[in-house]
Amino acid sequence: MIFKKNISSLHVPHNKNTADSVPVFVSAPKEVVLPMNMQSGHDAEPVVAVGDHVYVGQLVAREEGRASSPIHASVSGTVTKIAPVKLAGGKEALAIHIENDGKMEKDPEMKAPTVTNLDEFLDAVRASGVVGLGGAAFPVWAKLEAVRRNEIETILVNGAECEPYITSDHRMMMDRSDLVVKGVKLMQEHMKVPKIVIAIENNKQDAIDKLTELFKDDPSVEIYPLETVYPQGAKQVLLYNVTGKVVKGGQRMAALGVLIINVSSVAKLADYIENGMPLVDRIVTVDGSAVKEPRNFIVPIGTPISHLLKEVELKSEPGKVLIGGPMLGHAITDLDSPVIKATNAILAFEEKDSVTAEPTACIRCGRCMDNCPVGLNIAGIGRAMAKKDEDERAEALTKLGLKQCIECACCSYVCPAHRPVLERNLEAKSFLRKYNAAKKEEGRK
Amino acid sequence: MSQLHVSAAPHIHSGNTTEKVMRDVVIAMLPAVVASVILFGIRAAAVIAACVIGAVVSELMFCKVVGKKSTVSDFSAAVTGLLLGLNLSTNVPLWQCVVGAAFAIVIAKCLFGGLGNNIVNPAIAARVFMLVSFSQVAGGSACVLTDGTTSATPLEILAPGAEEAPGLMDLFLGIHGGAVGETCVLALLIGFVYLLIRKVIRWHVPVIFVGTVFVLYLVTTGDVYYALQQILAGGLFLGAIFMATDYVTEPMNQRGRMVFALGCGLITFAIRQFCAYPEGVSFAILIMNLLTPLIEEWTDKEPLGGI
Repeated sequence: MIFKKNISSLHVPHNKNTADSVPVFVSAPKEVVLPMNMQSGHDAEPVVAVGDHVYVGQLVAREEGRASSPIHASVSGTVTKIAPVKLAGGKEALAIHIENDGKMEKDPEMKAPTVTNLDEFLDAVRASGVVGLGGAAFPVWAKLEAVRRNEIETILVNGAECEPYITSDHRMMMDRSDLVVKGVKLMQEHMKVPKIVIAIENNKQDAIDKLTELFKDDPSVEIYPLETVYPQGAKQVLLYNVTGKVVKGGQRMAALGVLIINVSSVAKLADYIENGMPLVDRIVTVDGSAVKEPRNFIVPIGTPISHLLKEVELKSEPGKVLIGGPMLGHAITDLDSPVIKATNAILAFEEKDSVTAEPTACIRCGRCMDNCPVGLNIAGIGRAMAKKDEDERAEALTKLGLKQCIECACCSYVCPAHRPVLERNLEAKSFLRKYNAAKKEEGRK
Repeated sequence: MSQLHVSAAPHIHSGNTTEKVMRDVVIAMLPAVVASVILFGIRAAAVIAACVIGAVVSELMFCKVVGKKSTVSDFSAAVTGLLLGLNLSTNVPLWQCVVGAAFAIVIAKCLFGGLGNNIVNPAIAARVFMLVSFSQVAGGSACVLTDGTTSATPLEILAPGAEEAPGLMDLFLGIHGGAVGETCVLALLIGFVYLLIRKVIRWHVPVIFVGTVFVLYLVTTGDVYYALQQILAGGLFLGAIFMATDYVTEPMNQRGRMVFALGCGLITFAIRQFCAYPEGVSFAILIMNLLTPLIEEWTDKEPLGGI
C-alpha cells in the first residue's frame, strides 16, 4: 500500500517506567474481595457459603446469564462474607470476601482440561474465567465462540498497550512468552484460523523481537509492529490500522472475519488449558508521580488497592489514585477497592498532578476534531446538545454518528481550553441511549 | 488518607492552553513588526502600539463594565491589536488606531460573546470599518528605504496602465508602499514557519489561499512574473497566514478549512481583477468568515463506521 492510512495520530508521553520491571508476587494480602461483576456481561452467581474453606483456583462463583464468566478463589482460606461492595465508578456489586490463610494451597482436584476439538476448547476457555484483560473485561469465550457462526480469517492479538505507564501486557509478552506462544498455537489448532497477527507498538521492540524469533518458523503468525500513537490499541483503530477494515454501524467485528483478543488473555487461557490454573492473578503496573519506585506485580484478583500501594514507597500522600491508565482510567475514592480481572494498572499521582485546570472558552481551534481517530464532528455534537427539543437533539446526534465515539479521550487531552469534551460526548451518548430505550418502550405499548 | 481528587478521564493533558496558542501567534507576528519599523520608520511602531494598547484597554474596560472576569491574560486582545496595526499604514492618525482597536474588541468580539463567539475576525472587521469611516486608511505608507516619496501600493501600480511596479525581490523584502505589516513577505514567512513548527496552524489554509490567487493569475494572464508580483504585493500573505487561519472564524474541520481557503483565494482574485478597489484580501476573508457555518455543514463527513 502506498497510502498507509493511520487514523490514530496523537503522541502522548509514554512514561513506560516499568518496562524492565519483571513482575514479582505481591506479599500476601490479608483478605481478597471478589466482586461478581468483574466481567462485562451478567454478574456471576456465588456457589460457596460463608465459612467454607477454599483453595486457590477453586470455583467460587459460576457463570450466570449472558456473557458472564466464572470466578475462582485467588487465595486459599475461608469465605468470611458475601455482601455488596462499592466499586470504582460508583457501582455496587455482590462480592465474596475470602480471608487469606497465607498458604496459597492449590485446589488438590485441579487438573488440566482435556481439549481435543473446538467444543472442548471453547468449554475450557469458558471455564478458565478469562476475560479481556486489557480493560474491556468481555469474556473471552463469548468472543471466540463467534468462530462457530463466522468465517474467521484473522485473529488479531492485541499487544499494543497504548496507554501511558502500563506495561502489564509488555511484561506478559517478555516473561511469559511461552504462554503467549501456547495460546496462539491452541487457537490455531482448534479454531482453524488461517492467520494470527500479533500487533505490538514499536516502543516495545524487545517484545517484537522476542515473539518474531519464537514464531519465525510459523508463516501463519505475523508480528506486526505498530507506530506508537494513541489510541493504537482501541479495537476499531487497531482493526483499521492493521487490516484496513472498518466495522460499520451495528455490525459485529466477527462478520468481517476478524477477532481481536488481548495478548495477556491469550496467555492466561493457555495457562488454564496447559496447567488447569484458571484466572486467579494478573500482572498489575503500579506507577504514577507519587510512587517512588514504580514496579510490576503479580497480584491475586481481589487484592485491595491499598495493599498494593503499601508495597511501593510513596513520595507523598497521593492526590489522585487511578485504576487503569491516565487516558481512560477511573479515579477512585476508596482505596480498599479490589484489583479486578481487568485492572492492568494502579497509578497514584501527587497532589500537583491531580488537579484539573478550569475550562475556558472554546476557541474553535478544531484540535478535538483533528485528533479524533474516527473523525467525529465534535463541534456538531456540542451544538446538538444545546438543542432544547429532545426529539431534535436525538435526531441531530444520531445523524452525527455519535455512537462511533470510541471514548478514547483524545479530544479532552488536546483541548487548549481544557474543556471536558469527552464528558460531553459521554453525556450525549447516555442521553441518546436513554432516549432510544424510551422510544422502544413507547413503540411496544 | 486525605481527600482524593475525583475527575473524569483523561487524567493527563497535553499542557497546551489558549494563552500558549495566542502567545505563539504574537511571537509569530514579531518579525513582521520588526520589518515594519525598518521599512516604515518609528511611526509604524506607534501605529502598532496604539492598536495593541487600544485593544487590550478596551477588553479590560469592557470586562469591567459588564462584570466579567478579565480575559486579557489569554493574549487574544493583543493578537487582535497587533493584527490591526500590521494592517494599517503610517498615514493613519493614532486616535483612529485606538478607535479601530476599540471597535474590533467591543463591537466585533465582546458583544458577540467574547473569544470564540465572534463571527468575523475582529481585526478585519475593524479594518473594513476604518476603511469606510476614515479616508486615511486606504492608502499605503511610504517606505523609508526607497528614495521616492510615493506611497502608492504596488497593487495600485499593477492595475492596468499604471507605472512600473517594484521587482520581485523588492516585493519579497517589502521595500515598497503598503500597510506596515503586509509588505515584507520574508518576515511573514518566518512567522508562518514558526506557527507550523509550534503546530499552531497547519499549512493548508495559507498555501491554498495564496496558491489559488497565483494559479488564477497564471491561468488568466499566462505570465508567471505577473502572477508572482500579484501574490507578493498587497496583504495576501498577511491575510493568508494570520487572518484566514483565525481559529474562531475559520471552519473547525480540516476539509472545511480547505474550502474556506479556496473561497478566500477566489474572492481576492475577483475583487482585485474586476472591482474598482485594488485590494480584496480583507473583504474575501470577511465574506468567507460569514460563510463558515455553511461550509462546516457542507463539508461535514460521516465518522469512521458510518452513522
